[in-house]
Amino acid sequence: MTGEDIKDLILEIIEDIDDEADLASLDPAEPLREQLDLDSMDFLDIVMELRKRHQLQIPEEDYPNLATLNSCVIYLEPLLKDK
Amino acid sequence: MRLPVLIIGGGLSGLAAAVRISRFGQRVLLVEQHTRPGGLNSWFIRNKTLFETGLHAITNFAEPGNKHAPLNRLLRQLKIKRSEIEFCPQLGSKILFENCETLRFSNDFNLFETEISEKFPGSIDNFRSLLTFLQQFDAFAPAPFRSARAFLDKIIAEPLLTEMLLCPLMYYGSSNENDMDLGQFAIMFHAIFLEGMFRPRGSIKEFIDLLLRHIQENGGEIRTGCRVQNITQQKNCAVAVMENGEEIECNYILSTIGSQETESLLQRDRGIKDDTPRLSFVENIFQLPYEALPAGAQETTIIFFNHGEKFHYQRPQSSIDPRSGVICFPSGFKGIARRELVEIRTTHLAATEKWEQLAMVPEAYQQEKKRCSELSCSTAESLIGDFAHAVTFRDMFTPLTIKRYTGKIDGAIYGHPNKIKDGNIGLSNIFLAGTDQGFLGIVGSMLSGVSIVNQHILPRL
Ligand SMILES: Cc1cc2nc3c(=O)[nH]c(=O)nc-3n(C[C@H](O)[C@H](O)[C@H](O)COP(=O)(O)OP(=O)(O)OC[C@H]3O[C@@H](n4cnc5c(N)ncnc54)[C@H](O)[C@@H]3O)c2cc1C
Repeated sequence: MTGEDIKDLILEIIEDIDDEADLASLDPAEPLREQLDLDSMDFLDIVMELRKRHQLQIPEEDYPNLATLNSCVIYLEPLLKDK
Repeated sequence: MRLPVLIIGGGLSGLAAAVRISRFGQRVLLVEQHTRPGGLNSWFIRNKTLFETGLHAITNFAEPGNKHAPLNRLLRQLKIKRSEIEFCPQLGSKILFENCETLRFSNDFNLFETEISEKFPGSIDNFRSLLTFLQQFDAFAPAPFRSARAFLDKIIAEPLLTEMLLCPLMYYGSSNENDMDLGQFAIMFHAIFLEGMFRPRGSIKEFIDLLLRHIQENGGEIRTGCRVQNITQQKNCAVAVMENGEEIECNYILSTIGSQETESLLQRDRGIKDDTPRLSFVENIFQLPYEALPAGAQETTIIFFNHGEKFHYQRPQSSIDPRSGVICFPSGFKGIARRELVEIRTTHLAATEKWEQLAMVPEAYQQEKKRCSELSCSTAESLIGDFAHAVTFRDMFTPLTIKRYTGKIDGAIYGHPNKIKDGNIGLSNIFLAGTDQGFLGIVGSMLSGVSIVNQHILPRL
C-alpha cells in the first residue's frame, strides 16, 4: 500500500464509523479526534477495523501513532507495504 | 479449541458486549442460563399476549445528529443504525408528592425548569447552580462514594425539592438506601431530566431480537439454557464449567451476573454471605382496555410518587412499601401502536426476606401477592383515578421471581450497593460488566458491556 492508499483506508474506516464525519475539510497534520469530534471509544474502532481488515495487531502503546492522518501513514506504511 | 471471549449472562449488558466484540470479526460465545435472553428486561406470554417483564421507559433519549449523546454513542459502537429502531418519545411524566407538590417533566427540559421556578421560586437559583455544576462535573472520573443527598442539602434550600429530585433518580438508578453516589446522581439527572425518555415502538422482544440478529450476522454465538457452574483462572486462560459438565477454555471471560455472583462462580467467596443491604422491588402489571384508562392517564408516561414530604428509599419493614413508587403507562409514548388492551404498571420497594419467609408456605406467599397487588392497585387509584373494575389480567413479580429468573442475590435489581466501576476484579482475564459495574438501566447496562469490553478486552485480543 502506498501512503495515499493508507490515507484512503483510514478515511474509509472513519466514514464507516461515523457517516456524518466531515472528511472533506480534514487537515492531515492535525489530530483526527479533535477534528472529527471522536471520543476514545470511536478511536478504538479505527484500531479494531485495521485488525479486522488487514490482520494488523497494534499494541496499545502505539495508539498515539495514529493521532493524525499523516502519522497514520508514517506508522502504517512499513506494516502494510506488502498488502 | 480455545475461544477468545466468553460472556456470561444474556441480559442487555451481555448482549451489547457480544455485539461489540463480534462486530470486529472476533469470535465470541455468550451463555445465558435462562431459556430466553434479555435478563431483567425480557418478556413472557400469557393469554396469547406478550408482556414485557420490565420495560417502563428507556432513558437517555437523543435526537439524531447529537454525536456525544450516550444513546447515539452506544448505537455507533454497536454499529446499529438509528433507522433499525423506531423511537417513541414520552408524552410527559411527573413527580407527585401527595399533599405536597407536583413537578411535571418531559423531553423538553424547559418544562421542568419552568415547573421548578413556579413551584419552588425560592430554590430556582439553587437549581440553576446545580445545573451549572452538573455541566462541568465529570461523573465518570474514578472517585470514592460521595453522597448526592449531602451535596444537594448544601446547594438546595428547600428539602422538599431535594426529595422530589431524588425520587425518580433513585427509583431508576440507585442501589444505595436513602442516597446515591454523586456521580450516579449526575448520570441519572442527565439520563432522565436533561435527555429524557422513550421506548421502541415494538416490544422489548423485538429490541432483543435486533441485538441477537446483529450478534449472529457478525458471527457471534449464543447459547441459552446454559448455566455456568464455576470459573477458574489458569495460567494463560480462563475456564468455565457449564452445568452439564462441559468445559469452555477461553482467553477472556466477561461476567455480567453481579460481583458476588461472580465471586461464587470463582469460589472465592468461601461461602461467606455479604449482608450489605440490597434493595429490591415488586412490579405489578394491570392490563385493561385503553378506554378504561383514568382521565389524564392517556396523556401520561410515568408518575413517580411519594406520600408526604420525606421520601424513604430503603428496605421496608413489611413485604412492600406502598408509600412510594412508580406508575407507568406503556401506552403513553408518541407514535406507539394503539392497542385495545393496554397496561398500567406499578413498582414499589420490597423486602426480600419477608417474601422468602412467606415462600416457605406457598399459600401464604400467594395470599400476600394478592394482597399487595390490591394494595398497589388502590394506591395507584388514589393518585390517578379508578381502574380496578376494568382490569382484565394482572400479574406481579416479587424479588423471588427476579431471583429465580436471573440469579440475582436477594432478587436485587440494582445489585450490590458498592460498584466496581472499572470492571476489574483483580484478575487479568476475567472482568465484570453490567449491574455491579454500576451503569444501571437499559442504556446504562448496554454502555457498561461496551465500555468494559473496550477497556479490557478488545485492545488485547
Ligand atoms: C421490573 C423491572 C423494570 C425495569 N424497568 C426498566 C426501565 O423501564 N428502564 C430501564 O432502563 N431499566 C429498567 N430496568 C432495569 C434494567 O432492566 C436493568 O438495569 C438491566 O437490564 C440490567 O442488565 P444486566 O445485563 O446488567 O443484568 P441482567 O439483566 O440481570 O443480566 C444478567 C443475566 O445473567 C444470567 N445469569 C446469571 N447467572 C448465570 C450463570 N451462572 N450462567 C449463565 N447465565 C447467568 C441471568 O439469567 C441474566 O439473564 C427494570 C428492571 C426490572 C426488573
